[in-house]
Amino acid sequence: MPVQGIRAVTTARNGVGAFILPCKRLDFHYCDWAGSSRGMVAFLKNTLPSFAKANPQIEIRVSPRPHKHPVIKGHYINGREKAVCVRNLEPEQIFQKANLLKEASGEKLKRTKKPVTSINESVRGIWSPYHGDLKSV
Amino acid sequence: MRCQARTTTHVTGCLDEPPNGNHETFLKVAEVRNSCHTTAMRPSLRLLNLEVSSLQGSRTLYVCSVCRQEARPRPLVARQFLRNASNATPITERVRRKIWGTDNPPGLKDPYGGEGVLERKFKKDQPARQEEEPENLAQTSEQTQVENEAELASAEAYEPATTWEGLQRVGHLGRWSDLPPSEADAYESFMLKKKVTKKGQLSLAAHQAAVEVSLMHSLNKPLSKVCDVVEHDKSVFKMLWKCKIQPGEWKQAVVYPSKEAEKALVYIFEQIGGQPESAVAEETAEEVEEAVDESKWEDLVAEVNDSNVPFFGYADVRDKGFLSLSLSDPATKFAFLKRFSQLSGHYLPDPVVHSVATVGQVVEYVQSVLNPKPKKLADYLANSQGLQNLPNVKVFTKKQKPMDRDEELGRKKVIEAELRSRGLIDQKCKRYQH
Repeated sequence: MPVQGIRAVTTARNGVGAFILPCKRLDFHYCDWAGSSRGMVAFLKNTLPSFAKANPQIEIRVSPRPHKHPVIKGHYINGREKAVCVRNLEPEQIFQKANLLKEASGEKLKRTKKPVTSINESVRGIWSPYHGDLKSV
Repeated sequence: MRCQARTTTHVTGCLDEPPNGNHETFLKVAEVRNSCHTTAMRPSLRLLNLEVSSLQGSRTLYVCSVCRQEARPRPLVARQFLRNASNATPITERVRRKIWGTDNPPGLKDPYGGEGVLERKFKKDQPARQEEEPENLAQTSEQTQVENEAELASAEAYEPATTWEGLQRVGHLGRWSDLPPSEADAYESFMLKKKVTKKGQLSLAAHQAAVEVSLMHSLNKPLSKVCDVVEHDKSVFKMLWKCKIQPGEWKQAVVYPSKEAEKALVYIFEQIGGQPESAVAEETAEEVEEAVDESKWEDLVAEVNDSNVPFFGYADVRDKGFLSLSLSDPATKFAFLKRFSQLSGHYLPDPVVHSVATVGQVVEYVQSVLNPKPKKLADYLANSQGLQNLPNVKVFTKKQKPMDRDEELGRKKVIEAELRSRGLIDQKCKRYQH
C-alpha cells in the first residue's frame, strides 16, 4: 500500500501569488536645533518627496523629536519595529538607511550558516524503518 | 601686661648680683634697667632702647642676661616696627628702592596692601591723636550750634506766600526739553515712515529709482541729488512710470514714452539739485499726458486720490527691464540704493550692499526679508507642494507621544473613561497624561 500524503490546503505565503511589503510604516524623527539632524533635515526637504512617491505602500510620518538625535523607525507587518539612528549622516546615507528599513522583513537578524534555507518541508518525508523494501547487504 | 610681670621678677634677679666692686656703675645699670622696664613704655620702644644702648652705648654698660635674651632674637616684625618708628620710609619701601636701584621705584608705594595689623595697632596707641580728637569734636559741635541758631532765626522770619508772584520758580531749569518746540526741532525722517511691503510697490520703487538715476546719468548731474525731491507730483510720477529701461549702460537706459515726455523729464531733472521743481514742469507734464496712449495700462491704476497712498495707487511696473541693470559702479549703486531706500523705506545692510550686483538682486533681497523662510522644518514641509499632494505622508508639527497614539487608535476615550471611573485622574482634568 503506497503511502498517502496528508491532505492540506496550501498556506498563504507572502510572495506566492501576491507580495505585500513587510515594511508598513516609516517614521522620520528630527530636531530643528541640533547639528546632528542637519543631514536629516536636508533629506526631508529634498529627498523625501521622491522617496515617498516611489513607495506609496509605505506610510510615512515626519515628526520632530527635540534635543535628540535623528532616527528612522520602521514598523513591520509582523508587529516588530526597527530603529536606525542617523545622526551626522549625509542625506545620501540616510536614503540608504531608509531603503534598508524599507526592504527589511522585520525579523530579527539571523546568521545564515547553510547555503540553502527553506521553510518548505522535505518532499521525501522522514525516513521510517517500517516502510520501503528490505535492503540486502 | 606680660612685660610688667617680667620686669618685676627680673629686676630683683639683677640686683642680687652686683658687679665686682664698682658700685657706681651698678647704680647706673640699675637706673637704665629701671628705665627700660618701665610699665608705661611699649614693648617695641623698649626693644629700641635696648638695641640702641647695646650697639651704640659704652661697652661697660651692664645688661642682665634675661634682658639680653629678650633683646637678642629680634623677630622680623619687631625690626620692621622699629624702623617704621624711627624712619619715615618703611622697610618694604626701602627694599623696593634697593631692588630697583633708584629712589623713585615704579609701581605702588606699598605693594603689600597698606598697613599690617601690628602697624595699625601701633598707630591706635599713639596718645597724641587721642588728644587731638576731643578738640576737633568741640569745634564741630560749636559749628552745628551756630547753624542751628541761624536756622531758628530764619524760621521765625518765614511768612507763607499767598500768591505765586515773587516766588522762586521751581521745576524749569531752562533746558531744551522744557522749551516749546522750535523750527529746528521738527524732524522728518529720510526714509518712509511705513515700509513698503507689497511686491508690486517694491518694484515700482526700484523702477522709479532706476529711471531717476539713469536720467541724472544722462544729464551728467550729481546722482545722489535725486533724493532732494522726496515725492514727485502725480503727473511727473506717471511719466516716470511710463518710461522703460533698456538693460545696459545707465546713460542710455531710459526709453521715453514720447518726445514730449522726454523734454518734460529732462527739464524737471535739470532743476533738481539746483532748485526745487516749479509749476512749469507740471504744466508740461499735463500736456504730455494726452499724447500718451495709456488705454492698456489704465487698469493697473487704482483711482485713489488720497495722498497717503504710496505711488499714487499704482500697483505694478509696466516692464521688468530695470531688474537686469547692473550696479557695478559704486557711485551709481550708492545713488540707486539711497533713492530706493528713500522710496521703499527698506534699509540694506552693508554686506548686502557689497554683494548685490543688479537691481533685481536688490528687489529680491528686500522680498526675502519681507517673507523670511520658515525656521522650523515642519512649517516648511507643511507648505511644500511636493509633500502636500502625497497621500502617504503625514507631517506633524509637534512631538508624537504615546497619548497621541492612543488617540489615533481610538482607545483614548476608553482609557480616559476607565481612569475616571476608578478615580485615578481628576474629574476636571481634560486629558490624561502619560
